Amino acid sequence: MADEGEGSQDLAAENDALGLALAAEHAAVWGYGVVGAALAAGDRGTATSAEAAHRDVRDSLIRLLSQRSVEPAAAEGAYALPFPVLSPTDAAALAVVLEDGTAAAWVRVLDQAAERGTRELAVEALTGAEVRAVGWRTTAGQNPVTRALPGLPPQ
Amino acid sequence: MSPLPSPGPRGFSRRTLLAASAAGLALVAAGCTSSPPDERERVTGEQADQLLGQVGVQETLVAAFTAAGAADPALAGEVAELAAQAGAQLERLRDAAPGATPSSSSPGTPPSPAEARPWLRAQVAAAATSHATACVNQSGARAALLGSISAGLRGQDGRLA
Repeated sequence: MADEGEGSQDLAAENDALGLALAAEHAAVWGYGVVGAALAAGDRGTATSAEAAHRDVRDSLIRLLSQRSVEPAAAEGAYALPFPVLSPTDAAALAVVLEDGTAAAWVRVLDQAAERGTRELAVEALTGAEVRAVGWRTTAGQNPVTRALPGLPPQ
Repeated sequence: MSPLPSPGPRGFSRRTLLAASAAGLALVAAGCTSSPPDERERVTGEQADQLLGQVGVQETLVAAFTAAGAADPALAGEVAELAAQAGAQLERLRDAAPGATPSSSSPGTPPSPAEARPWLRAQVAAAATSHATACVNQSGARAALLGSISAGLRGQDGRLA
């Protein structure tokens, strides 16, 4: 139920933001397949764990939207990569893109959310994305590896 | 491994980066949203007080970086980037909390140089938890900012492990 004084219009905006987050999570699940394939077999555990985390969040989103009688968007069959993934370093850089993309989507959910429970979901998902991104930025050799304001564009 | 061919209009950038685009998120940065003038941006007295409190939490964290660096100069160099990020977070919080003025808030001092790092890590983790808790009680751009800061500090926490 929306916070006191907030109506269905606010919930519609929240649902729209959740739909964008779902799209980002679908892409992350797909993208981690590419990440894992480009890593050495012994290094795939982190990618597998990250993919599982995104699957869990995706499934939570689908349940939430379905409970609200909002048709959850399906995953695309495939996604164009933002750059060729030819090495483990490329794979880590792609993982950073995936995590940063979901982080941005979850910040938008926080901005649009009318319900406290949605903000709880969003801050948890956002935090998970940034923690994973820190590890991937390290692997990709990016600097700095942490972000002051993950998911927010620079001022 | 060859790069996958672009599936055309169903491209990655159109789907994933739609949510990540600067255009979309600029709304958040500007503190305005796509909905009409907005319940989310209306701040209650309680929310305003809580946001001021989070400014204080962040001021304490910035002071903790200074204290940890004073206790262990080698650590100061190592965490300079993290300290700068904590300062940037503080500036954004002050911008979001009109009326916030710098206050003298002491985090204490590390018990010893050898303990400076775990002490600082605990300070970072405590601030992250505080901002996350405050985030769910806020709305609109304030919730987005607090959630982002909390996530950024969790990332720092991992670096300090």
